[in-house]
Amino acid sequence: MKKANKWLSLILVGILLIGVLAGCGDSSGTTTPATATPTESAAPASGGILRFGTDSEPTSFDPHTCSEEASLRVIHQLYETLVCYNSDMTITGQLAESWEIPDETTYIFHLRQGVKFHSGREMTADDVVYTFDRILGKTDAGDIGALGSKASYYGGIASITAEDTYTVKITLAEPNAAFLSSLTKTYGAIVDKDVVEANGDLSRADGGTGPFTLQEWLPDNYVTLTKFSDYWDAGRVKLDGITYYLIGDEAARLAALRTGEIDIANLSATNVTAAEAESNLKVISYQSNTYIALGCNLSTAALQDKNVRQAIDYAIDRQALINVVFDGKAVPCSMVPPAMGHWSLDVTDMDLYQYNLEKAQQLMQDAGYSDDNRLTLKVAAGLMDSIRQTAVVLQQQLAKIYIDLEITNLESAEYVDAWGKMSTPDAGFDMMIVSDGAGEDPNRSIAFFFGTGAAANVFGFSNARVDELCALGIATTDTAAREQYYNEAQEICIDDCTKICIASPTLYFVTSDKVSGFEPFASDISNFRDTSIAG
Amino acid sequence: MKNYAIRRILQMIPVLFGISVLIFVVMKLIPGDVISGILGVESTPELRAQLIAKYGLDKPYVVQYFNWVFGVLRGDFGESIRTSAPILPEILSRFKVTAELTILAAVISWIIALPLGIAAAVKRNSALDRFVRVFALIGVSVPGFALSILLILVLSLAFHYFPPLGYVGFFEDPLRNLQIMILPAAILGVTIAGSVMRMTRSSVLEVLRQDFVKTVRAKGASERVTIFRHVLRNALIPIVTLVGMQIGSLLGGAVIIEQIFSLPGLGQMTLTGINQRDYPVVQGCVLFIAFVYVIVNLITDLLYAYIDPRISYD
Repeated sequence: MKKANKWLSLILVGILLIGVLAGCGDSSGTTTPATATPTESAAPASGGILRFGTDSEPTSFDPHTCSEEASLRVIHQLYETLVCYNSDMTITGQLAESWEIPDETTYIFHLRQGVKFHSGREMTADDVVYTFDRILGKTDAGDIGALGSKASYYGGIASITAEDTYTVKITLAEPNAAFLSSLTKTYGAIVDKDVVEANGDLSRADGGTGPFTLQEWLPDNYVTLTKFSDYWDAGRVKLDGITYYLIGDEAARLAALRTGEIDIANLSATNVTAAEAESNLKVISYQSNTYIALGCNLSTAALQDKNVRQAIDYAIDRQALINVVFDGKAVPCSMVPPAMGHWSLDVTDMDLYQYNLEKAQQLMQDAGYSDDNRLTLKVAAGLMDSIRQTAVVLQQQLAKIYIDLEITNLESAEYVDAWGKMSTPDAGFDMMIVSDGAGEDPNRSIAFFFGTGAAANVFGFSNARVDELCALGIATTDTAAREQYYNEAQEICIDDCTKICIASPTLYFVTSDKVSGFEPFASDISNFRDTSIAG
Repeated sequence: MKNYAIRRILQMIPVLFGISVLIFVVMKLIPGDVISGILGVESTPELRAQLIAKYGLDKPYVVQYFNWVFGVLRGDFGESIRTSAPILPEILSRFKVTAELTILAAVISWIIALPLGIAAAVKRNSALDRFVRVFALIGVSVPGFALSILLILVLSLAFHYFPPLGYVGFFEDPLRNLQIMILPAAILGVTIAGSVMRMTRSSVLEVLRQDFVKTVRAKGASERVTIFRHVLRNALIPIVTLVGMQIGSLLGGAVIIEQIFSLPGLGQMTLTGINQRDYPVVQGCVLFIAFVYVIVNLITDLLYAYIDPRISYD
């Protein structure tokens, strides 16, 4: 008995010790801001709180300088743009109720009246002018390194003036058919001048007009947003708030969905099958506007031979690759993937997209390669699972045409570094597997990635006709004519094989069966305005 | 003792200086930089140059290094390049999470390892001893991340359980805090319990063989007094050394466990910093971790004198 008492007291002391020591760990300051505890367990009053399992951590909420997925997810709830995309890829008004284009360089926007910023102040034409002044570095803060400041976005704005409280006139230096499309980007989100000036920037502040306001951010853990009661379209918004929980591990995200700890998460194709088997989960798919491609470093002598590059293209069995890498859930594509609707070229019948081993081998033999004289190429992969797996599949497929791929998986900073050097020997790689976002307008997909000297044309592709077609395409708003220009440009880029486009994946959200009214599409994957959660 | 402690603290200065140089050099040597990471596909030479100037990365390395070190000496670890948040407050708030995780894991490991290790030594070659040896081997060999994923899967599939999300501090909501921490702490505890158990067993066995134990028994002391008062105390030194080292490295952040369980700890912060090449964050974290490690080592050394009065630092 005495012995039992001793043990009991030991256990009690142990438990106490845990408590005390755990407390010590917390005693040196406050952990979370006063508003704390994400309202995860609180019973939703009307629309409920949507709990989103996010795979990466946001770094900033400044819409003008931030381009990461995790940050954009939140920024999309806080901010709005003058115009936005419908699911059929037509452009509709958001903060602008309507607009006129009297000539090819003049845009007049009539702003929605009564739109409030989260500070409670009404948004006016002055804020729109301030926004673009900020982006273009014309405010007192100077050049803030805004992502939209480049010529392809808003750099072509010659002047912007407030005609009256609710009318803004933008004059472009030269016609830019992609201008309206670029206004749909969060890089051009309309911001509250007072909030920017009070905080220096918007990296941790909220100067938007969106349906949700920023409540709290505990780095590497969660971000909470609450419904903005003065939102101009408040009747439409059903959710009371959104909480983004960082769950980096995909298996853990699936487990959290399964047990109802979160309501929605993005999962890769390989885990979607497991989610489909769960009765309380729904799988929502959408075709992405990203694509996987194999880029050739043209400073490598062997790859300067177009026949070798074409042989590689013929030797890629896209369907086999899609089956392995994307579990069959992707489509072969050009640099303008099918999610971009009518702009996308149908590649199914194109010669270079047909797997043709004999032709590939013949081309390689003509170039002097054989089993005794194999070509060894260093390929950079990394960053994402799909990129890593694509490298492995290509290694097997290209082995049949006398090419030995040496794969190096780089971690993200190294990868980005090598990416920027892929037209020079400095990269240290002959090829790189990339995953690129094609945007909404073909000008972005082609001029930005294939134009001579363009920012994202890292493989150094250069073709005078493509440059000419891009210039023609951006200078007219005639859709049929643009389509013709960009189709021809796609054909030239495909034939050149400097960057061999492989496939555009279907992407997935998995939600609990209580979530309804969420319909993502490539240009708008974070719209929860119509979303609600049942009891 | 006091002199020894002061001497040891003074010795920390060259150690930390060396570490600061090393981490600074390593961060500059590894490929990739924070500017490319921030700009991504939007990078242009003008934007790059602008950001490089903004963060002082255009200055000579020596100037950058001393700017940083003088800042640290004034308690200013700088700002994160990615988030513009001041680094030291962030480190301290992250350290609280990591410290709690470490303490819980250590306590759990002792609760498992010490009694079992002692019992295995006392009842050598018994069924219990064999069980302990197998358990210890599993604890040492199974990596924490594998155990974590396995547990998350099993718990979610079989018991429909997932640890609560959204970190809260212990003082805000102790129950919820422990619910969040207990699973990662238990996994860490089990993985480190293996080596503590082994060390306890062999250390106790060694002491049991010594002559004074016979004397103690001959004097008529009960088995409990013999083991706990005489044997364990003499066996503690190597155990404390091991535990000290384990605590030191756990306080540096259990990177993988923190990531899987989404705990906003120091390990997670360091890892994010490394991935994003956020130099000031990584430098600050590593320096802080080194500082903690050295302090834990010092405490371990000072503990020896308490455990074994024969050890004197004077």
